[in-house]
Order: sequence, then C-alpha cells, then structure tokens
Amino acid sequence: MTEPGSFARKPSPDATFPEKDGTQKEWPRRRQDIGAVLWPSFLAAAGASVLCFAFVDPLIFDFAPESARPLVARMTGYAVGFFFFWLIAACSSFVTLYLVRTAHAADSGDGN
Amino acid sequence: MDDGPVTSPADAADSLYAAHKKIYPRESHGVFSRLRNAAVLALLGLFYLLPWVHWSGRQAVLFDLPARKFYIFGLVFWPQDFFFLSWLLIIAALSLFFFTALAGRLWCGYACPQTVWTEAFVWMERLTEGNRAQQIRLDRGPWTANKIARKTAKQALWLSFSAWTGFTFVGYFTAIETLGHELIALSPGPWELFWCVFYGFATYGNAGYLREQVCKYMCPYARFQSAMFDRDTLIISYDPARGEPRGARPRGADYHARGLGDCVDCMMCVQVCPTGIDIRQGLQYECIACAACIDACDSVMDRMSYPRGLIRYATQGSMEGKTAHIVRPRMIVYGGLLAALVIGFFVAVFLRNPVDIDVLRDRNALYRVLDDERIENVYTVRLMNKDERDHSFRLSASGLPGLTLDTEREPVLVAAGTALAVAVRLRAPEHTPAGSSMVRIRATAVDDERLSAVSKGRFIAPGEEKEDEHHD
Repeated sequence: MTEPGSFARKPSPDATFPEKDGTQKEWPRRRQDIGAVLWPSFLAAAGASVLCFAFVDPLIFDFAPESARPLVARMTGYAVGFFFFWLIAACSSFVTLYLVRTAHAADSGDGN
Repeated sequence: MDDGPVTSPADAADSLYAAHKKIYPRESHGVFSRLRNAAVLALLGLFYLLPWVHWSGRQAVLFDLPARKFYIFGLVFWPQDFFFLSWLLIIAALSLFFFTALAGRLWCGYACPQTVWTEAFVWMERLTEGNRAQQIRLDRGPWTANKIARKTAKQALWLSFSAWTGFTFVGYFTAIETLGHELIALSPGPWELFWCVFYGFATYGNAGYLREQVCKYMCPYARFQSAMFDRDTLIISYDPARGEPRGARPRGADYHARGLGDCVDCMMCVQVCPTGIDIRQGLQYECIACAACIDACDSVMDRMSYPRGLIRYATQGSMEGKTAHIVRPRMIVYGGLLAALVIGFFVAVFLRNPVDIDVLRDRNALYRVLDDERIENVYTVRLMNKDERDHSFRLSASGLPGLTLDTEREPVLVAAGTALAVAVRLRAPEHTPAGSSMVRIRATAVDDERLSAVSKGRFIAPGEEKEDEHHD
C-alpha cells in the first residue's frame, strides 16, 4: 500500500512508452496538453456563465435584431457569453501550461 | 487465460486517438456491478424521463433560460433566487468532501455522467460486437461483411442515442414537447439545434471514445481527490499480505505448501478494469472506484473455494492491522454540516416569500409639481408572483406624511409564475422636506393578507438642498 495522497505513480506522465505493437500506453504530450487546456476551461466557462447570467440579462448586449427578441436574442447572448468565457479561460490555461512546461527549460538551459 | 490487458491500436478512423491503446473492459458480475447498474439505470432514467413529466399543466422541470425562470415542480425560481443555487452548489461541494472522505471516489464510480454514459455506450458495444474476446478478435480481424455490419450497428446505436441525449439535454431548457414538434417539422430554433448537436457530439466523443481518458488526463477531481483521503477512508484495496506471492496452481492443490498466497494471478481484476490498471500495484490515480475488480476477484475466489475479499473496500489502517474508524471526527463534522445545510435549504425554500417587488424610479424626471402644488414622483414597480396561483395585489406607500399612491389599475392581477410591471405615481403634500427621502412601497395580495412584499425607493422633493437631487 502507498501513503494516502501519494499514489503509486506510473512512470512519469510525460513518458510515452512504445509497446510491442508500436502503440503507446500514455497519451502523447501534445494531446495531454490539449485536454488539460480545453476541459478545465470548459468547466470554468460553464460556472462563469451560470454566475454571470444569474445577474446579467443578456438582452443588454443587443446581439440580435429587435424582431427576434427575446427568445433568440437571449439564447444568442448565453451562447456568445459561454464561448467567450471558454476562450478566455482556455487562454489563461494555455499560458499557465506554457509557463509550467517551459520553467524547467529556462532554469537549466537544457531545452527540456 | 490470456496475459493481461489486451489492447490494440484504435481504428485508423479515429486518428486523434491512434496512439492510444483501446481498453476492452470485460463484463463483471456481482454485488458492485449490480449496484453500479442500478445507479446507471436510475440516473439515466431520471435524465431521460424527467423532461416529459408534467406538473399543473406545464413541464415539471424546466430551466427556461429564454424567459429567465426555472420551474421545479411547484416552485418557480427567478434570477433573484440565485441565493438558492449557490446554496445548492455549496451542498454539492460538501457532499463531494463527505463521500470522498468516507469511501473515495464513489462519485466517479457510480454517479459521474462520464461513467454513467460510458456504461451505456459500453453496453451498446457489447450488444453489437459481443464480449471482450469477441471485440478484440473483431478489431484485429479483416473488414468482413460481419465486421462492417457489427460496426455499423454500433455506430447507428451510438449516434441515435447521442442525438436523443442532445435533444433531452436541450429539453431541460426549452419545453421538450415544443422542441420535439419543431424537430419533426425540421424547423428548430438555431440555438436549440446547435446545442442538441453540441451536447450529442460531446456525449458521443466522451462516452464512445474518450472514456477513461477523460478521468486520466482531463478531470481535475481525479487529481485532487487524494487530498480528501485519510487513513480511515474506505478504498478499493488488494490485500498483499494474503495474496502474495501470487501464482497459478492446480485447483485443490495445497498452495501454502508451495509457498503461494491466495492470488491465482488470473488477471481477471485487470481485464474488468475500465481504466486498464492493475489494482494489485496499490491504489492509483487512474482508479475510478467502480469496484469491478472486487466482483471479478470474488467470483474467482468462489470458484477456488477461497474466502472472498482478497480485493475489497478497506481502509488503509485496517490493511495495516489497525482498527478502522469509519465514524471519526472528520465524518461527523462533514456529515453534521451537510445535514444542517440540506435541512436549512428545504426550510428556506419552503418559507420563501412567494411575492417579490422591485421599485425603479422613473429616469426621465426627478419630480413634477402638480397644479395643486403637490409633488409627484413616478416609479416602475415590478411585481413577481412565484406562487402556483394567480393573485391580485393592492399597492400602498409609506414613509412621508400625507403620501398617496396612484396607479392605473388596481388591484393588479399577476398570473402564477409571472412578473408584471406597473407605473406608479407617488404624491406628497407641498411642504414635504426638500431633497431625497426614503419611502416604502408595499404590495399585498387581495385574497391573502399574509402575502406581501415591500421595497424601498427614493422620493425627491424640490428645495434648497440641491446636492441630494442626484440621488436615485
């Protein structure tokens, strides 16, 4: 048994081990990065949308012509808001990931 | 018996995953599989049936975003009730703490939508492609007519199930029957169609292909849940003291004499694992606590006539020979808080004032002096009736001597679950103190005096103290 909180580690999550049939057990790093950027930012965007639109009626943004109000205009507002939050959160996740990924390289100068 | 998690390169068709080895979980049978199936059926049943339930003439559960109103059976929630939503979120977070500290990733194994929909998709895969061994053979074999037929059948099932899922999801936000009619007539609203496709596609990708990879690489809870563990948390554990050294042996052999433990090294625990790990290496962050390995191992132990529980829910303390303390201060504190919050929530919802009133000053004029020298201020009063019945309201004002209230039509009829804005004029006598004063406008239901709500507003009168005039 291992200590709680310190799970038996697979070999470094970065490592990709080619198996006999030429495939890899772990996700390649590029795909891990995409997952780590898109998914948490998706969750954050969902939360931010709930919070934001509980207080703000999207009609104030004037996304759709008057004739389409309020149904389509509100839904356009919600959708634009959600994807806006997702984009912002994904940008932030990406920069964080980039800083973490490149910190070691900058320290040691070995280009990681 | 074959040698461990047989995996194969995923189809070239889904090239995004070409490098990932597909896991073929073997079906498991036992107590925990039945529990998991029950949870999956209950949750999916709830999800797919709830939008079709009616309650006093409308959809029972409808988060009507276009109208900014949430209907939950007899209750109507407005944006002003955000407080209740945040309360619910706190309850959800605390439940996660409580259940994680109690028995690890119960959420992941039984209730997470990722698990629930994956179970449904795996079931459809077994229906069309057969059991684990048949699936592996099929994927390795050439593209025969049989393979094409089975794969087509699987995709057809998956796609229609995903489409229905997307439709159901949107049905929580737009009345599902209207949405259904619109879709049949091929004239859905643009956003309804978009979200149907978006959610359907996400279900298809997440439950059909990504599966355990979401938990392994993308889920934040999977990574930080270990911080909520302690030595008395029930986790799925392999008992190495009893099992090791593992090894194959003839049935009925005196394996102790050969120096072997109880583990027959059949690899069943590995084959049933949806995340493809070997629980015998200790708890790993990939483990979603589905307990399939417990069922698999117990059935092998039964066949070998060994006692069950070589893999079982156990605390780390008990594995080390200490007494397990399931009830411990941490659980009492979490549990007490949780119970208090849940009870408080229902009490608060039950005692909620079904009437709400908003007072907005007219922005065009601060005040008007009437012919008889009285001073008039104009407001828009928004009345919200969250009750299940229609109510008529009378309005009254207080806060200044001689204040009178005038509105076009009294009493104001507000239908159940709706809001209505009325223009209201407040008039005060000539010698009202200059500047801004606080006034209160109260709405009282004609049929039930206990139903009333009050809101404050500013009344502005002309005079010397100009600095107050910009007050709203």
